[in-house]
Amino acid sequence: MSARKSDRGPKRDDGSWQLTEPHAGMAQGMVVSGYDHLPTGEALFLEFAWDRHQRGGAWLAALNAIAPVTPADGKVPRSVSLSLSWTGLARMGLDQRALASFPQAFREGMYQRDRMRRLGDTCDGQWSDCVIPTGPRWSGNTPQLPPEDPASVPPGQVDGTTPITVHAMLLLFTATDAEVAAWSAEVEQALVPQGVHVVHRRPIALHKGDDGIVREHFGFADGMSQPVPFDPDATVPAAAVPNGWNAVALGDVLLGHINGHHDIAAGPVVPIEPDGRTAAAGLPRHPRAGDAADFGLNGTFLAVRELLQDVPGFWTALTREAARLRTEDPHGGDVIDATWLGERVIGRCMAGDALRANGPLPRNDPATPDNEFGFYDDDQLGYGCPIGAHMRRGNPRDGLAQRPDQVRTLREAANRHRILRRGRKFGPPIADRMVDDGVERGLLFLAINTDIERQFEFIMQTWMMNPNFATLFDEADPLVGTATPMSLQAKPLRRKAHLENFVKLAGGDYFFLPSLPALKYLELL
Amino acid sequence: MRQTTSSIALEVKPDSEALLLSLIARLDRPDAATQPAMTKTDLLARMPSLHFFSLTVFPRGVFDPLFVIEANFDGPAGPFWPQLEAALGPQLRPMIACCKRPADGCGPLYDAVTAPGSRRDLAPYLQTRAGKPSVYHHGNRGMSRQRVVNEAALFSAVEAELDAAGQVAQTWRILPPADIHARLREKLLPQFAWLAQPAPARKTLGEKLGDWVRLAVLVLAVLVVLTLPGQIAAGLVETDRLVIAFVLLTAIVWGSLLRIAGPLEGTATHGRTNLLNFAWRQIFKILIALAVFFAVAMLVVTPTTVAISHLSWREAVIPSARALGWGIAAMVVIVLPALVLWLRWLERRDSTQDAPTIDEAVMRLMREREDHTPINHMAAMIPLKPGILRTVLVHVGHRGLHLALRVFIKDGYLASMRTIHFAHWAFVNNGARMMFLSNYDLSWETYFDDFIEKAHEGLTLAFGSGEGFPPTRLLIQDGASHGTLFKAWARHSMTVSRYWLAAYTDITSDQIERNFRIAAGLRQPTLTPESAAQWIVDL
Ligand code: HEM
Repeated sequence: MSARKSDRGPKRDDGSWQLTEPHAGMAQGMVVSGYDHLPTGEALFLEFAWDRHQRGGAWLAALNAIAPVTPADGKVPRSVSLSLSWTGLARMGLDQRALASFPQAFREGMYQRDRMRRLGDTCDGQWSDCVIPTGPRWSGNTPQLPPEDPASVPPGQVDGTTPITVHAMLLLFTATDAEVAAWSAEVEQALVPQGVHVVHRRPIALHKGDDGIVREHFGFADGMSQPVPFDPDATVPAAAVPNGWNAVALGDVLLGHINGHHDIAAGPVVPIEPDGRTAAAGLPRHPRAGDAADFGLNGTFLAVRELLQDVPGFWTALTREAARLRTEDPHGGDVIDATWLGERVIGRCMAGDALRANGPLPRNDPATPDNEFGFYDDDQLGYGCPIGAHMRRGNPRDGLAQRPDQVRTLREAANRHRILRRGRKFGPPIADRMVDDGVERGLLFLAINTDIERQFEFIMQTWMMNPNFATLFDEADPLVGTATPMSLQAKPLRRKAHLENFVKLAGGDYFFLPSLPALKYLELL
Repeated sequence: MRQTTSSIALEVKPDSEALLLSLIARLDRPDAATQPAMTKTDLLARMPSLHFFSLTVFPRGVFDPLFVIEANFDGPAGPFWPQLEAALGPQLRPMIACCKRPADGCGPLYDAVTAPGSRRDLAPYLQTRAGKPSVYHHGNRGMSRQRVVNEAALFSAVEAELDAAGQVAQTWRILPPADIHARLREKLLPQFAWLAQPAPARKTLGEKLGDWVRLAVLVLAVLVVLTLPGQIAAGLVETDRLVIAFVLLTAIVWGSLLRIAGPLEGTATHGRTNLLNFAWRQIFKILIALAVFFAVAMLVVTPTTVAISHLSWREAVIPSARALGWGIAAMVVIVLPALVLWLRWLERRDSTQDAPTIDEAVMRLMREREDHTPINHMAAMIPLKPGILRTVLVHVGHRGLHLALRVFIKDGYLASMRTIHFAHWAFVNNGARMMFLSNYDLSWETYFDDFIEKAHEGLTLAFGSGEGFPPTRLLIQDGASHGTLFKAWARHSMTVSRYWLAAYTDITSDQIERNFRIAAGLRQPTLTPESAAQWIVDL
């Protein structure tokens, strides 16, 4: 342990970062904070139940009176975050040119035919086993264009329309359960007269353990690995920690800043109108379009997926599979049990430490699992953290390098696809992980990124669902992928586990998380 | 086994474009009434050497539409075209009739094969019209189609053996690697008799030597041209004046270069590699190459001096060495930097396209066809920047890139990526444009992100001569590092791959090499404990 301390000590990166003004006052708080001190809350999914002609931002004024959206400039006793789907923005009457200036992924939504296929949500035109059998319950219901080539669509292709339409997602974060109940009732009451209905809701909680660690429902410590954005003009610290494992350009997290590909992360624009709405909202002029204001600056996109977790299903299947692996391995299999296998599915042990061939990765700081590591040096072949483990597929770090001279390039390349994970749990923690209590629970997966295609979708398609990830063959992510074999690298010979899917998509879409000035502009519509 | 990559680019009669597109579309959806259904399996059986085949129509723009037939196959081109004709002749003939009659001597042949009801062989026409790529890359060089397929089947059989349940599985876990190898071989030999034969060489010695010789000739030719100015000056001017001119020119070239070498505002990407540090890293190779060049060139320059000066052989040595020495010094210190200066001067004036028009319908059509299988196809067309320097650079550069890929890429890896099966560039429209066709692994997004992040210098070198490319600096800097700009530019240069025939669609380039390693191990009757331990990692 001490060896690690001395060789990595000076470069350590504790992962904390802040925005500087004016950006801190413009961006929404959830970009910079997971609200560790606000462990309870609720997600309200809103539909604008207006007639065809109604539009505008009056509802935002009403919301503002009781739940003003929180900026990123300090610690608050309770917090609000608001994001909108493309259909939500369209219903509010945002200008056509503005709507068209959003990136294609957001304009098309998560259920565009080709996207569903690439995300692994459909297979041969049918919902895959990563989705609840009835198909997702809610989305923005973005209108879809007919295919250019009808023959490219498999017969019986599901269309991505969901029973519930969500125009906006409101997240309330509070310190106690009682507080959130009262507050969300108040919010709902204020919105109903505006024709804005809560069509779906989920509690969002951290449920920290007694040890102060947040665990997702299966029981694994979660939220350890996050990218740390830097920008010479907008963050503290202003520069990446040299050789930091988690450094990303701020433009990968917030629009309007330089991104990992050395360009300004381009966001949407709104026309500058004579009525001075853009000026009143405080939207700056767009750097490229002379007659337009920058609607994106300090805003970003959220990939939202409501994922149901079948906890007893997961552990029962792992128990069965572990028993099978054990009988196949009469001489070395005693260590194999459900927990052992589950830890390999994730790539970290239950307490959160990355797996290595001879036990968990030693900690630098005794209080928290380490996140300053690669794979190339001490686990290239996956004898500790299997090559196809969820954590390794989610962020291969330098693990795809073949030679020492590629390590730096590959680490930097992997970091250009990172997402800031702000997901929270819904549903109560399970009492016994083997016993079905009939209660729905899961993860409201929220990923912040500015380039949906290069970040969220890339991770899903190229890493999570890629059957050939890292020279594996015909496997998928063992946690969120379809039923799959999983190679568990070992000496003398790899084991192969057969896993099913217990994490299913129940709803979701892409949302725009506007800056506060952009919200002001919407309010003035 | 040697592989061939070839493409035929035919200008389309503008009024026949729609017909051509519908003829191509019918290949995938034959009209049962007029054509017997021909499945892809049938076609592949008729073309047993084919790996990948595509038909693309680049839409009109500054030029008329261009119909491109791309084929990647085993062995030489000669036998392939008749195979293609046997498989797809009746379908290709009317497509060729949609294209213009060539203006060169091929006209009568065109008439003969496109005449209504013609039964003349198509193959000769295809063969005369086939172009030679300027650069091609084979990610799994030397792996014939049959071998790719055989070794993939072997891989499945190995996996099935290892994953058989119960007692069998138990035995695998207690054996040392060398025994696992021996048992697997014993079990699989009856089914895969070829395991008993030695593996065919992927590259022959002749091929390897040929690649080296071609590269050496190119390097030599370039050095001759670049050292000429110094050599001629040394022949004409006295040493003292030469020194003055040398110093003056050096000062002018380097002064100007230093003044404009920096990035234009807002275009720097702070990459780690530039021409200078790249050259520095290769300094030993460069010095050796120059020494060899000196020695070889002396063998040519000395007799030349004798011939033109009436000096004796002995007397000619010193002036020859002097001329060559000045030639090399001037090349390194003045000529090359002057060319770089010229290039930089051009770069600073280049138009880069910030918002290339992307036809959303075409884009949707491309996306609808992508990512159904792990292997995908792309086709792009890139107009070239004008001017003599750019033209020379791109042609010499392509030749150099081609030979360097042949000589130095031994394991299929480009930088740290092995995602290409068959890719090639070719100049079309009399050199006004170059096209790029690739059969690659993973999605388009990934394929390009990978190159942007892991090999942007190479990408800038290879595509930077294209019009509208993001701002480049000193040949390899910036450029493709502007990932967002570059991807938009690349997407806009692409068009729909209208028809694609692939002998395998789910064996990635990486997997082919994995299967190759497994098979190579199983071909050995026994493995040492060390090599078995190495070999077993791939199972
Ligand atoms: C219910 C579903 C999911 C569960 C229970 C889950 C659980 C976990 C856990 C326990 C970790 C390791 C802890 C950490 O590194 O923070 C992790 C990491 C990660 N997960 Fe998930 N996850 C889920 C869904 C997803 C999805 C859908 C994605 C898709 C993009 C994803 C992407 C990631 C990424 C990128 C990491 C971080 C890897 C790293 O940086 O080392 N997860 N997840």
